[in-house]
Amino acid sequence: MATTTAAPKAKIPGGSFLLQERPTSEVFTPEDFDEQHRLIAQTADDFATNEVLPVADRLEHKDWALTRELLKKTADLGLTSVDIPEEYGGAEMDKVSSCILADHMAKYAGFAVSWGGHTGIGTLPIVFFGTEAQKKKYLPRLANGEMIGAYALSEASAGSDALNCRARAQLSPDGKHYVLNGEKMWITNAGFADLFTVFAKVDGEKFTAFLVERTFPGFAIGAEEHKMGIRGSSTCPLILNDCHVPVENLLGEIGKGHVIAFNILNIGRYKLGAMCVGGARTSLDNAISYAKQRKAFGKSIAEFGLIQEKLADMATEIFVGESIVYRTVGMMDVALGEVDKAGANALGEVRKAIEEYAVECSVLKVWGSEMLDHVVDEMVQIYGGYGFVEEYPAERAYRDARVNRIFEGTNEINRLIITGWLLKRAMTGQLPLLPAIKKLMDEVLAGPSLGDGLEGPLAAERTLVANAKKLALFAAGAASQKYMQALVDQQEIMGALADMIMEVYAMESAVLRAQKMLERNGEAASGLAVAMAQVYLAHGMEKIEAAGRKVIAAIAEGDMLRTQMAILRRLGKHEPVNTVALRRQIANRVIESGKYVTA
Amino acid sequence: MADTILVVVEQREGKLNRVSWETLTAGQAIAAQTGWPLEAAVVGSNIGSIAGEVAGKKVGKVYAVESAKLDPYTPDGFAHALKQFLSARKPRLVLMPHTYQVRDFAPKLATALGRVLISDCVGYKHEGGRLLFTRQMFQGKFAADVSFSGEPTWFVTFQNGAFRGDKVEAGAAAAPIETVQADVPDGVVRNKPHETFKEAKQAVDLTQAEIIVAVGRGIKEQKNIELAKQLAEALGGEIAASRPICDAGWLPMDRQIGSSGQTVAPKLYLALGISGAIQHIVGMKGSRTIVAINKDAEAPIFEIADYAAVGNLFEIVPPLIEEVKKAKGA
Amino acid sequence: MKILVCMKQVPQKDAPLKLNESGTWIREDVSYEVNEPDAYALEEALRQKEKHGGEVVVITAGPARSQQVLREALAKGADRAIHLEDPAFVGLDAINTARAFAAAIKDEKFDLIFTGLQSDDYGYAQTGVILAELLGWPHATIIMQIEKADGGIRVKRELEAGYFQFVDMPLPAVLTIQSGINKLRYATLIGIKQAKNKPLRKVALAEVQDALSPNLLKLERLYVPQKTKNTEVLQGSAGEIAKKLTEKLRNEVRVL
Repeated sequence: MATTTAAPKAKIPGGSFLLQERPTSEVFTPEDFDEQHRLIAQTADDFATNEVLPVADRLEHKDWALTRELLKKTADLGLTSVDIPEEYGGAEMDKVSSCILADHMAKYAGFAVSWGGHTGIGTLPIVFFGTEAQKKKYLPRLANGEMIGAYALSEASAGSDALNCRARAQLSPDGKHYVLNGEKMWITNAGFADLFTVFAKVDGEKFTAFLVERTFPGFAIGAEEHKMGIRGSSTCPLILNDCHVPVENLLGEIGKGHVIAFNILNIGRYKLGAMCVGGARTSLDNAISYAKQRKAFGKSIAEFGLIQEKLADMATEIFVGESIVYRTVGMMDVALGEVDKAGANALGEVRKAIEEYAVECSVLKVWGSEMLDHVVDEMVQIYGGYGFVEEYPAERAYRDARVNRIFEGTNEINRLIITGWLLKRAMTGQLPLLPAIKKLMDEVLAGPSLGDGLEGPLAAERTLVANAKKLALFAAGAASQKYMQALVDQQEIMGALADMIMEVYAMESAVLRAQKMLERNGEAASGLAVAMAQVYLAHGMEKIEAAGRKVIAAIAEGDMLRTQMAILRRLGKHEPVNTVALRRQIANRVIESGKYVTA
Repeated sequence: MADTILVVVEQREGKLNRVSWETLTAGQAIAAQTGWPLEAAVVGSNIGSIAGEVAGKKVGKVYAVESAKLDPYTPDGFAHALKQFLSARKPRLVLMPHTYQVRDFAPKLATALGRVLISDCVGYKHEGGRLLFTRQMFQGKFAADVSFSGEPTWFVTFQNGAFRGDKVEAGAAAAPIETVQADVPDGVVRNKPHETFKEAKQAVDLTQAEIIVAVGRGIKEQKNIELAKQLAEALGGEIAASRPICDAGWLPMDRQIGSSGQTVAPKLYLALGISGAIQHIVGMKGSRTIVAINKDAEAPIFEIADYAAVGNLFEIVPPLIEEVKKAKGA
Repeated sequence: MKILVCMKQVPQKDAPLKLNESGTWIREDVSYEVNEPDAYALEEALRQKEKHGGEVVVITAGPARSQQVLREALAKGADRAIHLEDPAFVGLDAINTARAFAAAIKDEKFDLIFTGLQSDDYGYAQTGVILAELLGWPHATIIMQIEKADGGIRVKRELEAGYFQFVDMPLPAVLTIQSGINKLRYATLIGIKQAKNKPLRKVALAEVQDALSPNLLKLERLYVPQKTKNTEVLQGSAGEIAKKLTEKLRNEVRVL
């Protein structure tokens, strides 16, 4: 057995997945979890199963006293402290641990959102941007669950364009307070939180963050929203009416609120991706047990091909979701490991290390939320009529999933971030995207020397991924040539390119994970993982080809269109695999196990 | 006494534990197949009447192993007395019921003699002159046949309900009784047991119930107990539970069925979401009719069920309550 | 008080088990967890330590994978661990397992040894009692409560049919712990972090080999138990099942 499979050590540039093939030793996978990681997963799993799920109905009816009680219990276990340094009462661990918690706490979305809102966007602004005094004052109490945090960015008329907010802050004549006025909307945890990171414009123009306690004069909470889903979480508006905030509660710098807003959202995104994976896994497990016991035509519906196909797709998507989530945070941990924690600008370095993977974080958010929506949709279908009624878990899961495509930056905004961020890096030369595109263009124009297959394990799959990258680069190159800097205004093209980029990342991560399992455990023990990677590749390639066609058809016509389409076809050429048989194989394994498994 | 089978019956506070008849039935069956003579022993203080009771069954001889030091029961005292007795007599096979008391001293006894015990057996096989003992493993998911590979004496305990106590054969004439004085020196017995007692209130005597609706882990939440209660009410029966439910405090301890709770044999035992761990099964397998509703088709409870419904109890129970009410009303 | 807790790794409760090809054991490619009664034994030891001070040491015998139960115990608060590491330990009978434990702790001085009352795999319910005999210590089984008393401890034994009994006993002693004696804790994040640096002593089979002897009993075969009952499976939708069952209860079981 190969032993080249320790957790990765080398720092990898963000976005570079599009350009290079990585050896498996540089890719972190769930199979690399150590004993600590497994124990954290177990604590979170047991807590969600034993303490949260049994009281989900009461939480759905907005029993916030119970939510607070549960949050206090999570704090007692340290589950609120994973991102808080020890000197402030936390139990800081790596980002893999942080994601494992988010993943496994996500069994019931209503509470997962309350917990995630508190530990993520509710607490992290202080961790990353707080002064020593602010950290000492607030972090220990946020860690121990005495205080619950929330984050107030959106407004009724400022969602995706949050910088355009109307809330105002004015220094009081005595210079001791900022006086805040305005309204914030859709604030998670508002119903019971104690501390809010509120964004407002100082003197009407300088976008700035403030730490606002619930008890400050002039602070009020509006009525609970009546939501489609995550009804077990609190969402209310904030009303700031001459709200007096002491000057020492200004967070970060005046006029630099956007740095806080974007960094915190960026971090929120990878955790959201992890939560989507956890939610999907719970839904699949429910669907499997229902399909096994539900009888039709004298046998369990789990025996029918069209149900098996769904179960197999759900399992495959979860496998891929795990692959991209843990690969991404694994890269972050390596980058964070290089930060000199004692250095003067340690926190800035930490932020930079996380920001490095902005594209990957956005992929996790978009891909994860859309994957979850697909999984819960299929879950409802498997439950049939019972999927449509409230007594069964499918209905709630379906409603709860939907918001993930909206909050923490809509999927549309995030698609623009994915393509835009990569283009920006290419333009500034931080990422050698342009040379790669040029090399590819020369190569394809030189004629069909392509398709030199790679060698080694999963050679065909890796070749397919390599070609998928070429397709994405080709489309991106063609689009940049046509629009130059103005490409950012072509949102549909940007979106289609983002789709291609996301699929490349998802496909490659799945193959690398399967390959790593193969190297570590041999063929017999990795058959399921390989099958899932193959099924996903077939699906991902279809999406990439479709997006590529859309881009090319929009930017070229006539002979040019025909030439470029020929290149597209050549790059996308591959022999189809028998996904019917593969899906049956996957389905049979998860049905036999009664739950999602990877081996 | 080589090649004899010795059944050690159980007495507690001067009374014969009826499960001992099951063990004696097993002993009689093995004796009939092997041709080995069968004898019995009672251990304790003032056990003459129990020895007399046992002597009325088809058994070669009954030993009353007596010492004042054996009352009350202690593992030290019993193991010491039996070690003495068995070292002298060297039976081939010693059979005992798998009770809490036997579990407490039998492994110590076997170890003290340098021998081993196959505990909690549900049957035996006599194959090609060899004895195999069948026991459940992995919570009843599998059965195993286990043999002794060492020298006798061989120790075996049988699970409650493994044999029919009412099928024990009476003897043609009363068997001879030999009283053996056990020598238990001071200092052997280290534990000081107090009187046995029951917890405050044991309001319910489930052993008298004709119909029992029992719930297990599959009920999922405390509030769902209400559904089972409604079914019990509709059927005119009592509500009961497996151990985890009582451990969680969802039902009081006196509603617990199983090895650490009550042993019942009602006309109808309806098991909702009970997987059927051995500890539960020993408490209810004597029921005349067992109905099991469980979503896991592999649940061991189905092995002993007369009627099985593989499915979601939350779907099946509500219409069942309605149907039962209708049937009763009609 | 210095307490040793004997723990075992067993297949997960809901794991679908399959027989190996020779029908002598299960296929090992399943998920494992801590034997449930052992988890209660650990919890009780941790509570005793919190009350009276001292040390909690955990021990297990099994292949590399079984280290997981020790790490979990350390994360929950045990101070150190002993791992008798070898796949061969899985196949030992109760007396040899107890001998191996006794040999591994011969240089230690414990006040109490806890085991779960039985394991979910073999279910012999013997190891603790045998260990007491090998060490020459008193023991008590199926314990529901432990209090310190003059010159020793007072324990509450569970008896059958809802009866209980208090027993006074001297130390050192072995106790087998009943499930449900307490409420299990979760491993905290801090506990998980600290577990990494707690001592874990590995003991190879060779180090205790001299204490062992050949098994005196042999597991001849393992198989799916034959059904003794003729089970009638009720088919159909929930409503149909309810109807059919009611008919049976009325006409055949005759309880309606």
